[in-house]
Amino acid sequence: MPVLAESPPMVPPRTRSLVSTSGAEQAIKAFFGGNALVALLVLALITVFLFREGFGFFGQNLNNLRLYRSAGLEYVDFIRVEAEKHSELTRALNDLRLRQFQKMQIEGVAPEQANASLATFDEFATAFSDTSEPLNGLVSDLSEQASALKEQLFAQAEAGATAGAPPVERDAALAVLRAGTQQYDQAVSGVSTGVDQLLSTAPPLPEAKLQQTFDKWKQRARDYVAQLPAAGEKLRAWSPDTPVPWYRAISAFLFGHDWITASFWQDWYGIRPLLVGSIMVSLVALFFAVPLGVASAVYVSEIASRHEKRIIKPYIEFISAIPSVVLGFFGIAVVGTAVRAISELPMFSWVSFFPISERLNVFTAGLLLALMAVPTIFTLAEDALRNVPRGFKEASYALGANRLQTIARVLVPASLSGIVSAILLGLGRVIGETMVVLLCAGNRIDIPDFTQGLGAFFQPVHTMTGIIAQEMGEVVRGSIHYRALFMVGLVLFTITLLINYFAQKLVARYRMSIG
Amino acid sequence: MVSLLEMPQAVSKSPTRDAAQLPAQQNDTAMIEIDRVKFAYGTNTVLHDVTLNVPPKAVTAFIGPSGCGKTTLLRCINRMNDLVDGAAITQGAIRIQGTDINTPGLDVVELRRRVGMVFQKSNPFPKSIYDNIAYGLRIAGVTKRSLIDEAVEKSLRASALWDEVKDRLNVSGYGLSGGQQQRLCIARALAVEPEIILMDEPCSALDPIATAKVEELIHHLKQHYTIVIVTHNMQQAGRVSDNTAFFYLGRLIEFADTRKIFSNPSQKQTEDYITGRFG
Amino acid sequence: MTSVRPHLRRSRIIERIAFWAFRIATYIVLAFATYIFLDIGIKGARTVFTTTAPFVNTTFLFDRPQTLYVFEHEGQKMTLGDTDFRAWKETHGEPAVDPTTVAYSAGGIWPCIVGTALLVVGSMVLALFVGISSAIYLSEYSRNGRFIKLVRIAILNLAGVPSIVFGLFGFGLFVIFFGWNVSLLAGWFTLGLMILPAIITASEESLRAVPQGLREGSLALGATKWQTIRKNVLPYALPGILTSSILGIARVAGETAPIMFTAAYAMRDEMPWQVSRASDFVFQGVMALPYHIYVVSSKIPQNEYTERVQYGAAFVFLALVMLIALTSIVLREKSRSRLSW
Repeated sequence: MPVLAESPPMVPPRTRSLVSTSGAEQAIKAFFGGNALVALLVLALITVFLFREGFGFFGQNLNNLRLYRSAGLEYVDFIRVEAEKHSELTRALNDLRLRQFQKMQIEGVAPEQANASLATFDEFATAFSDTSEPLNGLVSDLSEQASALKEQLFAQAEAGATAGAPPVERDAALAVLRAGTQQYDQAVSGVSTGVDQLLSTAPPLPEAKLQQTFDKWKQRARDYVAQLPAAGEKLRAWSPDTPVPWYRAISAFLFGHDWITASFWQDWYGIRPLLVGSIMVSLVALFFAVPLGVASAVYVSEIASRHEKRIIKPYIEFISAIPSVVLGFFGIAVVGTAVRAISELPMFSWVSFFPISERLNVFTAGLLLALMAVPTIFTLAEDALRNVPRGFKEASYALGANRLQTIARVLVPASLSGIVSAILLGLGRVIGETMVVLLCAGNRIDIPDFTQGLGAFFQPVHTMTGIIAQEMGEVVRGSIHYRALFMVGLVLFTITLLINYFAQKLVARYRMSIG
Repeated sequence: MVSLLEMPQAVSKSPTRDAAQLPAQQNDTAMIEIDRVKFAYGTNTVLHDVTLNVPPKAVTAFIGPSGCGKTTLLRCINRMNDLVDGAAITQGAIRIQGTDINTPGLDVVELRRRVGMVFQKSNPFPKSIYDNIAYGLRIAGVTKRSLIDEAVEKSLRASALWDEVKDRLNVSGYGLSGGQQQRLCIARALAVEPEIILMDEPCSALDPIATAKVEELIHHLKQHYTIVIVTHNMQQAGRVSDNTAFFYLGRLIEFADTRKIFSNPSQKQTEDYITGRFG
Repeated sequence: MTSVRPHLRRSRIIERIAFWAFRIATYIVLAFATYIFLDIGIKGARTVFTTTAPFVNTTFLFDRPQTLYVFEHEGQKMTLGDTDFRAWKETHGEPAVDPTTVAYSAGGIWPCIVGTALLVVGSMVLALFVGISSAIYLSEYSRNGRFIKLVRIAILNLAGVPSIVFGLFGFGLFVIFFGWNVSLLAGWFTLGLMILPAIITASEESLRAVPQGLREGSLALGATKWQTIRKNVLPYALPGILTSSILGIARVAGETAPIMFTAAYAMRDEMPWQVSRASDFVFQGVMALPYHIYVVSSKIPQNEYTERVQYGAAFVFLALVMLIALTSIVLREKSRSRLSW
């Protein structure tokens, strides 16, 4: 053993002064800390900014709603609703005729002959449609007056208290408008006598089943006529000065079922159609992605050969890198058309809502989103399955269980919270996805017709992400529309944060229990 | 800013200690003075009023059951506990050659250069054997290749590893066996020429043969270094140390010459532990 | 044991059926994805590659998008790009029947490739610089208090916020509030911010995966904190950081929503370097591949004339992003086998 002390010290005395070294260390720390602070501030800023831009919406929406009432638009819309119910009845009649006609075609009746035999029905339908004339006329007259008043009031509000703005003769204008109540009563009596007469002379339909529907329709028409005077009461009770409570600004946003912007009549910012669209698309996506994602996770972690595993795992992860806009394009170019073609196949003729009319719909978008969610679900679920301690599996085998039993009774339950959080994160990814839904969901701002059952999933919708992408480029900063889009963004932000938060919580709990 | 370089150097030049001498209670011969130290992790106090003087150029062993605070005390000596959040000495002081190591502004880096450490789990860097040992020199600003070569050989010889690895200095330190890895870590600590070496259960993961080699190494090293070793292994403490401190529940129960502790402890608790009645 | 008990045999059959179901589910996913790759690959290759040297369609890759003119001339169907059509008119005069025009369908996608490259480079420089520095601070310097824990959770959750929300934010703050208009700068910041939480999280994870023993060993030898980080932590965390960064590039390059109203133009005639003043460079909007794909797949019809640009652009874009992702996956597999503690 050599003696260390014999040689001179190897480490030279430190030449740099201690103070400056320490100073440099401090500076380095400050540098990293500064960067972290910048990152943090900016990320916090996002949240603050979203709120700042979004919350102004409520005040503006309240003004929007108050103007709607004080200018009498609300009053006109009472009548408009009745007129629209009427045209809905007319549409139902036309639909009935179409179905009868198709039936006859299938039975081999020549088109001319079919048309001839339906002539009396057509006459009836036209006559029914005409009964709404007085109502429609009234609506269009009153609309003009109310619109004009709204414009004046709006201009007055814009000009503020500045002198020179002509005073608006609001009371006079409203008085003219409210004369509509009498006209409405007259119109109603006209409609009811007209409809009553028509109903008594309604022609029969050849097809028994359709005749049943027709009878139901007649009942609907009678009900309609019976409730017409109620709207008259509403008109009388209406007052332009009833205050609009503040919470209406919020409830109209959260529960309103219309998203109508840049309208000449009245803008509505109700998030419900968008929310419903987002949820429906996500449901379809999860419907496919959860079984496929979890099944392939089980397959890769427990069943596949090593060779298969080495290829499948990176391949599925590879899928997650496909840009969403490419998927969206593929949806437009291939999937949408394919879905419609499949719905037209004779073998699916028993499905009541097939063939579908729109190739871009909830289903098409959901199918593509499923492909985006599968890698997320797969990766995390596979991770959870792989992290189940070997001992669990060995204990199960030692008790004579086969592989399937071990998977179903030991592995999946043990990793369940991991799998659930994988699904949640998949949902988060799907609900926040923009390009696929923008390109493939059909972009119709309407709550689908759920009376068709599952057929609702084959109708076009619009989504929260899609509406932001579509309308953001065209809005004026600070306008109510701009702020409404920020509110939609805020709702989206909140939803995804919540989903992520719960997913992470679950993972944390799962890590603890497996430990 | 206080530097350890400004500490009085006289103590370290004191003559080699007589093996028969009892643990010095006089401060002028102590290398490390632990003075009424209280230490807490957050609100949880794990050391209570520990007072102890570690003599220079000798091996001092800390023994005691798990959780008695011996490793914590060891890590206080080179302020490794700075890395643990919320951990701090709440009272008392640790002085090395008269300088309080917790003086505000004291250069921790310089402290650690003079107080080397060997960890329970050998932790060679994922670098070659050569680079592992050169690491400490390079960060100290030594760039001359010949100096580093020399230091590597010297440290490896001192840790009795030279003959086993001299032909493969460029292979990864991970390629060595457990015992070799631990000796590599000792060599790494020696290369920067510390005055004190702290060893935290250095043999706990080693087989008996590797342990014997490390113990032999410790025996040689004490000629030049002050060594503090934490061990669970009573026989080991008996074999390698000159003085032994017995800790129990965060308190120093007894500190004396190793032979005395093992043959004639003055405290009942010490005796119970050593004879295996608890712990 | 000569005979298998009947219920055992039955469970064996059930097991086999179930395993096949799992296998089929897995292969459905693979087949669907493969079909997409093949469809875009085959139809796109027709645009991008040619049978004669240099075997790539240089017009498509290195030209700007042009409007396509389709008309009949002396019984022959003519399909000409904007430039060619004007040249043709010089010699032949106006065609007899007004030509049908199809936007974007002639020429190429060069400005989009350049724009995407500019966007990716700028935003990644920004995100990596701030992101890795923040990760080093969080993992190496910060005390593990309640505040830091909160910060960590916040960052983790922000990584899951939809890209359109970042786009909304970028539009509101950079484009309108700061008045940068639709510009490279706004795009860089928006994309950089979008990827920042992911970069911080992944980098911190890589840093934390470096065993504590390495840090303690280094510090015990008298290394300063920075020396320890630079020599004994960063080198071992780097492969992980690199992998996640490359994955970040794939994501930044692949996103459309954040740039569609912060940085991207549907059509721009000048190339990005054709600016009058150098300072204008960062304040110009650019064309970008993903946005171009969005535009050509939603704003122009699907027909024989548009397929070329639609599939060609999708092919080039997919190939680029997939190449980046593949690099990341290969790198990860490599580093996984090399470094393990």
